[in-house]
Amino acid sequence: MTSPNGLICFTNCLLPQEDGSLVQKDLWVDERRGVILDAQKTFYKRRERPNRNIDMGGNIVSPGFLDIQINGAYGFDFSVYEDDDEAYHKGVQMVAERIVETGVTSLLPTIITQEKSVYPKLLSLLKPFSNSKSATFLGWHAEGPFIDLTKRGAHTPGYLLPAVEGFKSFEEVYGAANLVEREDWAMSEDDQNPGVRLVTAAPEIPGVMDALAELNKRGIAFSIGHSVASTDVATAAVQNGARLITHLFNAMPQLHHRDPSIIGLLGASPWLSSPFNPLPTVLPCTLDHLPPFELPASMHEGGASTPTGKFSGSPQASFAALEETPAHTKRQEAGAGSPSSNLPTRKQSRPSLHLDKGQIADMSFERPYYGLIVDGIHCHPNSVRLAYSSHPEGCILITDAMKILDPNLRDGVYEWREGRYFEKRGEGLYLEGTTTLAGSLVTLDKCVRNLSRFTGCSLGEAIRCATYNPAKCLGIEDKKGTLRPGAHADFVVLDRQGIVLSTWVKGKEVWVKGA
Amino acid sequence: MRLVIRDDPQIVGQYIANYIRKRIHDFSPTPERPFVLGLPTGSTPLPTYKALIAMVKEKTLSFKNVVTFNMDEYVGLPQDHQQSYHTFMFREFFSQIDIPPSQVNILDGNAEDLIAECTSYEQRIKELGGIELFLGGIGDDGHIAFNEPGSSLASRTRIKTLAYDTILANARFFNDDISAVPRMALTVGVATVLDAREVVVIVTGQRKALALSKTIEEGVNHLWTLSALQLHPWALIVTDEDATAELHVKTVKYFKSIERVQEEVEIIQARPKVKGDSIQAAVA
Repeated sequence: MTSPNGLICFTNCLLPQEDGSLVQKDLWVDERRGVILDAQKTFYKRRERPNRNIDMGGNIVSPGFLDIQINGAYGFDFSVYEDDDEAYHKGVQMVAERIVETGVTSLLPTIITQEKSVYPKLLSLLKPFSNSKSATFLGWHAEGPFIDLTKRGAHTPGYLLPAVEGFKSFEEVYGAANLVEREDWAMSEDDQNPGVRLVTAAPEIPGVMDALAELNKRGIAFSIGHSVASTDVATAAVQNGARLITHLFNAMPQLHHRDPSIIGLLGASPWLSSPFNPLPTVLPCTLDHLPPFELPASMHEGGASTPTGKFSGSPQASFAALEETPAHTKRQEAGAGSPSSNLPTRKQSRPSLHLDKGQIADMSFERPYYGLIVDGIHCHPNSVRLAYSSHPEGCILITDAMKILDPNLRDGVYEWREGRYFEKRGEGLYLEGTTTLAGSLVTLDKCVRNLSRFTGCSLGEAIRCATYNPAKCLGIEDKKGTLRPGAHADFVVLDRQGIVLSTWVKGKEVWVKGA
Repeated sequence: MRLVIRDDPQIVGQYIANYIRKRIHDFSPTPERPFVLGLPTGSTPLPTYKALIAMVKEKTLSFKNVVTFNMDEYVGLPQDHQQSYHTFMFREFFSQIDIPPSQVNILDGNAEDLIAECTSYEQRIKELGGIELFLGGIGDDGHIAFNEPGSSLASRTRIKTLAYDTILANARFFNDDISAVPRMALTVGVATVLDAREVVVIVTGQRKALALSKTIEEGVNHLWTLSALQLHPWALIVTDEDATAELHVKTVKYFKSIERVQEEVEIIQARPKVKGDSIQAAVA
């Protein structure tokens, strides 16, 4: 059933907005080009209106979900390559075609730490992929090997590496061909472009902080994870462009009130984030090798006297500074349009207290996004609510699912890899015969419902954490994760309890519940 | 002139929607002979638009063979601006009915040659045989479309400077920034409206009470431009109880009585009636 003029109108539906609200409104789509239309322009300028109206029965027409951290599904593990390109491609295609039943229409296959020589091959196989009835593989998410030994989780310790030569080390491991400049690879029609998207690494690992600038320049999002970074290192990483925290609460130091570390970034204080305040300089002694970092050039405009964040001085000195008059001297014009959304944004900081009720976020940098596994097991519902309440705009739902992810799978023991087995017990996945968590098998639609239940936020606000927030984090919100005119017509239709009723890719229905 | 009084704006909207549906059905429009409808913007017609939309959804009315002309549009405001009348009409009406986009006419306030735009608008109306029914509202000061007090009652479609009152009243739609409110508009003239074979005006709310009184109880006066309606042979005003607050009791009683007579006449006339003819009752 197609429309004679190729235009369709979803009517009698709720549309999730970018602010988390749900609005009753029609949505016009060009099913031939697979894009969302500017309805008013189509009407007045193109002088056309949809020939086909689809009554959605009051359900929610959401942008398709994005999962930016997923290790495999339906028995296929993205991190396992068995010398057979064809078999690997088939696995990718199978996952892309089946995952749509969970409402996911875009994903970042995640490669956990590998033996160094495997990377170039594996990553080159993960170029952006999609077909007419499948979810879109946006590229890859490399988790490791530049991570901390003590927070390695399930990563193989022998494969972990330092990045002694900064970005060059990243190139050596991942393969230079897999790290080229961004420019259009994002959504290009052919899949010839490398699909680099996201790197999870620990900023305290030698050389990692040095590589941040170049990663940013190339449009590769950096995520802090599997790390023991102190508050200062974590803050410095964000100021240097880190955009995300990988599976918050997991594989990082617990929240300590004197050094809140990575988790503390969710509460990053405007006081300490002021570009005119030297950072506090409490550094673990193991970080002697950490090189001083330079603030972006834009910081030096406007005559701030000493805006650098050189790590020097002592803890005492930095705490004493809190009692003194702020060191910042001059107001600075707010950044005149950052050239790249991936670069850290610097804003004007107030030189004094203010009287505007409700205005608290006077930050020199944006707080990072954070991936959250909301399966009820990896994070207690209280922790989920704590994180979400402190920074709802940064919340990104991820499944971090293992290859066992399959909503149709029964409880039981299943093979993992290298002769190890895991056991699915309800929503939990454990190493066989133990209570050790072996990863997650939750689906993203379930995470959306859970987030709404755990935090009390509306379904629309929960949807935002699986659509707009991840898309914005990757800088692709014009194409994915939103209902903007020109964005790809990838949808998940949910009832008002968040159950997936159907999934649409490029303007075509590709999955229907119970069909 | 007929004056119909109903309890509240919702019932007024329903009444007018029923009336328009009947007129379109009786006209039996075809692609070659479309029903030409003039339309207003503003909050007053919203209940009418809602009722018409409901009729289209339940398939008792179609706009497939209707051509519309809107009354006015701001000059210099982008077409997709939140406050443009293009946006208003699309959001509140056109997007929700079945009218083909090619049959919608709204003045282009961004045209390079504004005078030519106005001339061609009148020309397009003429080519379609004139407007069959012009639906309108009324300003607090008695204006119709952007024909502010003092406008010529013989005016045609043209560029008009907005009255200071109107700019002040509109400021709330532009973040209370008076400097952001457009100062000019393109509007059909009083004579353009009067040229329509039938004019239906919605007047609801107590704020409109004085304007209604000035329009129908006093003489034709360019300071209350809608009063020119007194010269139209087939005009209908539908109002709610609140808007009658300034009318004489006698006036209200008179119009209520002729409405009853009109109903009786319509029943009598229904039998010999020829399709497409409107009934010009003796009371009009």
